[in-house]
Amino acid sequence: MSDITMPNVAAIERSRHGSSIGQPVTRREGHLKVTGQAGYAADYNPPGLLHAVMAVSGISRGRVTHLDVAAAEAHPGVVKVMTPANAPKLAKSPDDKDHGFMFRMNVLQNDSVRFANQPIAVVIAETLEAATEGVALLRPRYAEEPARIGLDGSAAFALQAVGAGAPAKGGIGDIEAGLAEAATRFEATYETPAQYHNPLEPHATVAEWDGDKLVLHTPSQGLTMAQGRIAGLFGIDPANILIKSPFLGGGFGAKGLFSGPQVLGIMAARFVGRPVKLVLRREQMFGPVGHRGETRQTLRLGADSTGGLTALEHNTLTTTSFYDDFFEPAGTTSRHLYASPAIATSHEGVRADIGTPIFMRAPGEAPGSAALECAIDELAVKAGMDPLDFRLRNYAEIEPITGKPFSSKALRQCYAQGAARFGWASRPRAPRQMRDDDGLLVGWGVGTATFPAMIFPSEARAVLRVDGSARVEIGAQDMGQGAWTSLAQIAADGLGVDYDKLDLEIGSSALPTGGIAGGSAGTATAGSAIHHAAADVIKKLAALATSDERSPLFGAGNSGVVPRDGRLVRQDDESRGESYASILARAGLAEIDGKGSAGPNPSMQESYAMHSHGAVFAEVKVDPDFGQIRVTRLVGAFAAGRIINPRMVRSQYYGGMIWGVGFALHEHAAADPRSGRLMNANLAEYHVPVNADVPLIEAILVEEHDPHVNVLGLKGVGEIGITGTVGAIANAVWHATGVRARAFPITLDTLLERPGDI
Amino acid sequence: MIPGRFDYHRPASIAEAVALLASLGDEARPLAGGHSLIPLMKTRLATPEHLVDLGAIASLKGIQVDGDDIVIAAMTTQAELIGSALLAERIPLLKETALVIADPQIRYKGTLGGNVANGDPGNDMPAVMQCLDAAYEVVDEAGPRRIPARAFYFGAYDTALQAGGIVTAVRIKVPPHGHGYAYEKLKRKIGDYATAAAAVVLTVADGRCATASIGLTNVSETPLWAEEAARILVGSTLDTATLDRAVAAAESITNPASDMRGPAEYRTKMAGVMLRRAIERAKSRATA
Repeated sequence: MSDITMPNVAAIERSRHGSSIGQPVTRREGHLKVTGQAGYAADYNPPGLLHAVMAVSGISRGRVTHLDVAAAEAHPGVVKVMTPANAPKLAKSPDDKDHGFMFRMNVLQNDSVRFANQPIAVVIAETLEAATEGVALLRPRYAEEPARIGLDGSAAFALQAVGAGAPAKGGIGDIEAGLAEAATRFEATYETPAQYHNPLEPHATVAEWDGDKLVLHTPSQGLTMAQGRIAGLFGIDPANILIKSPFLGGGFGAKGLFSGPQVLGIMAARFVGRPVKLVLRREQMFGPVGHRGETRQTLRLGADSTGGLTALEHNTLTTTSFYDDFFEPAGTTSRHLYASPAIATSHEGVRADIGTPIFMRAPGEAPGSAALECAIDELAVKAGMDPLDFRLRNYAEIEPITGKPFSSKALRQCYAQGAARFGWASRPRAPRQMRDDDGLLVGWGVGTATFPAMIFPSEARAVLRVDGSARVEIGAQDMGQGAWTSLAQIAADGLGVDYDKLDLEIGSSALPTGGIAGGSAGTATAGSAIHHAAADVIKKLAALATSDERSPLFGAGNSGVVPRDGRLVRQDDESRGESYASILARAGLAEIDGKGSAGPNPSMQESYAMHSHGAVFAEVKVDPDFGQIRVTRLVGAFAAGRIINPRMVRSQYYGGMIWGVGFALHEHAAADPRSGRLMNANLAEYHVPVNADVPLIEAILVEEHDPHVNVLGLKGVGEIGITGTVGAIANAVWHATGVRARAFPITLDTLLERPGDI
Repeated sequence: MIPGRFDYHRPASIAEAVALLASLGDEARPLAGGHSLIPLMKTRLATPEHLVDLGAIASLKGIQVDGDDIVIAAMTTQAELIGSALLAERIPLLKETALVIADPQIRYKGTLGGNVANGDPGNDMPAVMQCLDAAYEVVDEAGPRRIPARAFYFGAYDTALQAGGIVTAVRIKVPPHGHGYAYEKLKRKIGDYATAAAAVVLTVADGRCATASIGLTNVSETPLWAEEAARILVGSTLDTATLDRAVAAAESITNPASDMRGPAEYRTKMAGVMLRRAIERAKSRATA
């Protein structure tokens, strides 16, 4: 992709007149959603449909020794019970890994149990009720072995790679020397718990086989990857698999890689020779579809007498399963956020009898920035500096370890605009200085937000029709973030057509590959391919017009014309132009199409560090008698390059910041140390913020131009809101109470040195 | 989240309901608002073969004055308690309590009778009823009986209600005009059960506490009537030293479980904090 031409910023500015990009248009599919017409996977009911329900393990380690299949199959309506004894054998072992981006799954190929809530059988019945009852009648028996749970449940071991393949270790300079010369030193350990994605829509499949052809309705954040994974497991041609995923009720990473339960739905349909629907129950979302592993992060920092960092060490211990490798890359945040002559980051793993962790919204950055932002705050206080001044003192002008310049970085403006809006200047330095009218302790905290700007390979097709309408096709995915809308805005501008005359088709594997809606890269990925496909159409159209004597554009040259409101016009004289309809009609064409692709640009990646940035300011109120914490105000200021749709972007920031509230104060999957089973695998007890927990939130969209990051100049907005927010809240809790909480979620009792009197 | 198979009955009278429950035996459960029972059934922690829905029995609805008492029929919802002008005037503690139970959707379905009868130590109304010295009107095979709230709870889900019996109404002697009251509840977040909660009703005469009653929620297997703590208050000016002693007395009778709401020591201390706040607020509301 080194032949990508980077945008002419002046041309972009000119094209903004009357453009769709930048407009806060509402969701294109909003009406469908609020009237119940948006069909999610589980809404699809083909003729002859059977219902499948998974039986899941009640132990976390051992074997299933008995299932009362006869009792289940005797229940009226039950068609068949699929167990390891009779389940279809897959063409490829689900434990085979072709590459690091392929994860092992548990799909009834043997009787072993590797974690609680692992599928151990699937009951298929004429009704959901009968299948559910069939599961209850299986009454499994087990040979149970002792569960190994938590960060201390087994021996830690060294790692080579974390996350999506980042090196486990990374740094620069001499940490010990940096600490030795420091005027102020600080060391602390922070812990973050296991967290589960819990999108509103649980994983669902409706699978229909026709010979070796498969039609699958299922939510997916990565249709092409899913297609490839299914093809491998079932030994069929990817071209024979059609996946429909037009709407997702959230994904957050849980639907990024195809999961075991989704495979079981496909197996069940093959097993009974009829279409089968399988929908996970909420409690089944806690195990077989991934989670964020636990972390224990130890940071050692030093600062000189002016507050300049001399050393930043960030060591992470994190949990994975006993059968596969995924390691939360918590330390990577420290590699690019603050300037320090010495930086050292490392990760170790520990295995537990749990389902394998996976990418979860802001993998690495969410827990990593939580710990880093707390430690930076603690060091600032120890050094006698305002926490915001301290961050500015250590502002990274270049990416610290690589020495690369940033493709753009308006973090200083984020700090300034956020602080001004929040009123940070009037914050007293010492803790426990502010009370509200009800006597509640009030505290203010700040955290820096950061997330890398990525892009994945993708392709798009665009068509202009003689009637002035247009169509763009790409197998991109809308998880709820607004892809239906923002991609249409990009397409409309690229083709120079009215947004309302633009048909967009996404969410099907039959379309050109749309890459991945993940890594906060969905809009960059699909949008860039759409941009190039549109440019290809315009180039062909321009070639038709400028080479035709009868056109007013004759002789203008391909680069001398631009698309504008259904017309090509001369760049040097916009009054001279010709409509698409006229160009196509004269050429005898009903339509003209083009293709485009996008992907990472190695030369740009070598030259620039690319990240979104932000600053989050939090106010909390703490009851002085019992430590109850409420977040009462959040102000986030974020810079993420070009903003396609400020309404959607603001919504992403809000959502991310609310996730930050949940991370700081609520989310905690608690395992019973005796059995390894989760004690709160439901939304009644696995707490996430509800409306009543959500404070006044403001998101400021800080202007930022990025001529390098990708052809559209945009960076990701989906995950950054969590980062910074967690630290800001924890730091505000300290400012309110004088107590540093170093384990998340922060619970009331940790604030009470003497219960009843903090 | 689908319950096992069960048969559904919808009797039209109390007599019919009691007869049904008696004939169906142990596998039958009465259904009020369903907010405790139905989730248990959906998660298969309860698998009754018969549900006897009390929702069609007209006499189980309504709030009546009966002499010095107010009688609240068992199927009265939390939302109806909140909306009752009579209760707001005469026993405002009930509205204050109902408003911190769960969330509005649940309060539209959840009933007072279900809340007091099922014996869940996390429920808020039992301690309030002990505080108010309420009595439960119970009908079972032996006929109607009246059981004081303070004698109703034996353990978690273990009550004086015999199998086959139902609570038909809650009878509360109206506290004196000018009484002070408060229900203080600590919960981790909106919708949660109490980490600890305290109900207080007291009267003040000539600057001194004349009567006092205290109930504590979710700090033991049953609601707690803190008799000794209340006795300490009576005759005092509700000064700090007295409150310290009353709080200590209340804390000494708690026996909470250590759970996700906190360790036992914390929950005990929080019961004390809730009680202190409830007393102070009740005092500020008392007139005379």
